[in-house]
Amino acid sequence: MKRTMVGMLSAAALLAGTAQAQEIKVGGIFDLTGITSDVGKPFAQGVQDYVVHVNETGGVNGKKIKLIGADYGYKIPEAVALYKRLVNDEHVVLINGWGTGDTLALKDFISKDKVPYISASFAGDLTDPSKTPYNFFVAPSYSDQLRAWLSWVKEDWKDKSRHPKVAFFYGDNAYGKAPMEAGRRFAKENGIDVVDEEILPGNFQDATSQLLNMKQKGADYAYINVTTTGVSLVLKGAKALGLSTKFGSNPYGFSEALPLVAKETAEGVTGVMPHVPYGSNVPGMKALIDFNKAHHGGETHDAMYVRGWATATVWVEGLKRADKAGKLTGEGVKAALETLKDFDMGGLTSPITYTPTDHRPTTRCAVYIIHGGKLVKVKDYDMPRRADWLGL
Amino acid sequence: MKCGDFRETYVEDMAIFETAFARRALWLFLAAMAAVPAFAGGFWLDVVNRILIAVVAATGLNILTGFTGQISLGNAAFLSVGAYATAALAGKAGLPFPVVIPLAGLITAAVGMVFGIPSLRLKGLYLAVATLAAHFVIEFAVTHWDSMTGGVNGISIPAAAAGPLSLDGDARLYYLILPLTVGMLLFAKNLFRTKVGKAFVAIRDQDISAEVMGVNVFKYKLLSFGVSSFYVGVAGALLGYQARIISPENFPITLAIDQLGMIIIGGMGSILGSIFGAVFITLLPELLRLVVGPLSATFPQLTTLFSSLKMGVFGLAIVLFLLFEPDGMAARWHTIKNYWKLYPFSY
Repeated sequence: MKRTMVGMLSAAALLAGTAQAQEIKVGGIFDLTGITSDVGKPFAQGVQDYVVHVNETGGVNGKKIKLIGADYGYKIPEAVALYKRLVNDEHVVLINGWGTGDTLALKDFISKDKVPYISASFAGDLTDPSKTPYNFFVAPSYSDQLRAWLSWVKEDWKDKSRHPKVAFFYGDNAYGKAPMEAGRRFAKENGIDVVDEEILPGNFQDATSQLLNMKQKGADYAYINVTTTGVSLVLKGAKALGLSTKFGSNPYGFSEALPLVAKETAEGVTGVMPHVPYGSNVPGMKALIDFNKAHHGGETHDAMYVRGWATATVWVEGLKRADKAGKLTGEGVKAALETLKDFDMGGLTSPITYTPTDHRPTTRCAVYIIHGGKLVKVKDYDMPRRADWLGL
Repeated sequence: MKCGDFRETYVEDMAIFETAFARRALWLFLAAMAAVPAFAGGFWLDVVNRILIAVVAATGLNILTGFTGQISLGNAAFLSVGAYATAALAGKAGLPFPVVIPLAGLITAAVGMVFGIPSLRLKGLYLAVATLAAHFVIEFAVTHWDSMTGGVNGISIPAAAAGPLSLDGDARLYYLILPLTVGMLLFAKNLFRTKVGKAFVAIRDQDISAEVMGVNVFKYKLLSFGVSSFYVGVAGALLGYQARIISPENFPITLAIDQLGMIIIGGMGSILGSIFGAVFITLLPELLRLVVGPLSATFPQLTTLFSSLKMGVFGLAIVLFLLFEPDGMAARWHTIKNYWKLYPFSY
């Protein structure tokens, strides 16, 4: 009896020991309650679900991933506190982050601590490894997205007697402002006049005054760089004022959720979609649908969920490669991610490539339009990988 | 043995410690505080540091609001002045922390005195609104003066350093923050045994009477703004060194409300009250998080409720204190202490 007890105890201890050794700690900084929680929640769900999926299907070469995620309410100080806890107390190998403001604020810490930080912010500033060696994301940059949309504007504009007039709407935060300089320069190079820029406050409920300003400037097109809730407020305001401006939006304002929130005002709105809508006919979608059948009773999601899933796919691949090389450390994972070359994402997003001198994952971006409440793909735009656009 | 509070000399009346026991207890407490980094790691040390910084800031606010009677909603903005001054002095100019911290305090004191000028004409609620304006003016400047403050992206601050000494990490920083906090508390305690401090209290109790007695009301009001803002500026500098990244989001208007809450719950016009209040308000969300954290595994919706829960509990605490202990935790502490001092002969 005594011997079996001892045996069981030591077996348990052994199990616990091996379980600990075979566990990879990964941090998560998510927005579940802040001003971007409308898109932050499905993203976080996508990341969490992919981690469960990986752990069920063999893990990282047999090792399980432990995702230590928490909400930071889209507040930079909270993100900093959470980051410190994850890095200093939990000793995570990498962090799956979220917003532009917090990711940019943390960039010096990230470089110093050598913790690969895969953000859901696609700010162009994060793509130059000479400045931000440990920052990664899984999409074309915000700048390339805006360039893709402006390319669409140019093709859509039929009146050759004058340049199309474009307005930018953006939030008074780092995410809102991220692609604007790139957009201004691209417009100038391509014969598009940026006639107006309107700033939307953090938690705005009404954009009438901004829309009236824009109307005065006579913008033919407008790009709204806020999240879904904000985009729908602008669209509803424009409808109420009877504006004929053609609106477009960034990938955090444009998804399956937009026609549901903005209803008929979303008709004809274009948007850039670096990740495909949920349920699209691409090879990589099967795993998502099967997972949701098995775990969530066949629930459907939107492109934000796909984005979370795709983001986690990339860093898990980084972990796998680093583990194979026997270097499961921040530096090892960074080096492993930089070996990704045209890494096939099963169509969820374009193939991903990182090099030690260029962290632009891809420069290809699709523009979609809403027709009859459905997202319809217009065209893929492939932006050139210009050297002077690195980090812009 | 005396069974009561009999003070026979002025020296006795002015004494900080009523008994030798109280003095020894404080020394013991300080010794225990000095040993904290040996026991508290990572997260809790971070919390302790934030509590100490909050103590300095709350003491500053208490000097202005609790002792001089000038209500201020500009505290968060003054904190940001201290923190951004630190970013500029330590980050851009590369000065060592023994220079940066007092300078940050002085800069904040100057800014605080400028925004204190309306107090010549304004009292009570009107002054509160004027300082609220100060909050928004400073916030706007901080958000849009990109070259100096980094704008909405925030700015990073190097570790507190002086020559070869670098206070990198919470444990090292703790040994800067703790003695500084103790020193500033001691100064504040003594301030109210001087002419200046008595003048502050006189203005709070009745400004017209104070004027009649020969107190230059405007001068002392401005001085109170200056001293208070100096404290807040030092707290801002420490906050900058501790957070290492600051952005306008570090200093929302709710922070100013939190700090008013600290001195209301702790005790207006009491140094001890600032300490109690800062500890209580800083610990409240952390303790709530401890409770909510494990529960949210079973009830995921609790995570989303957390931020509103925090505000709710904060509001409830203030209402309950105003109802049952309007003089704050410091008053309750004295009641308890006096009860035991005379136990069992309480009359």
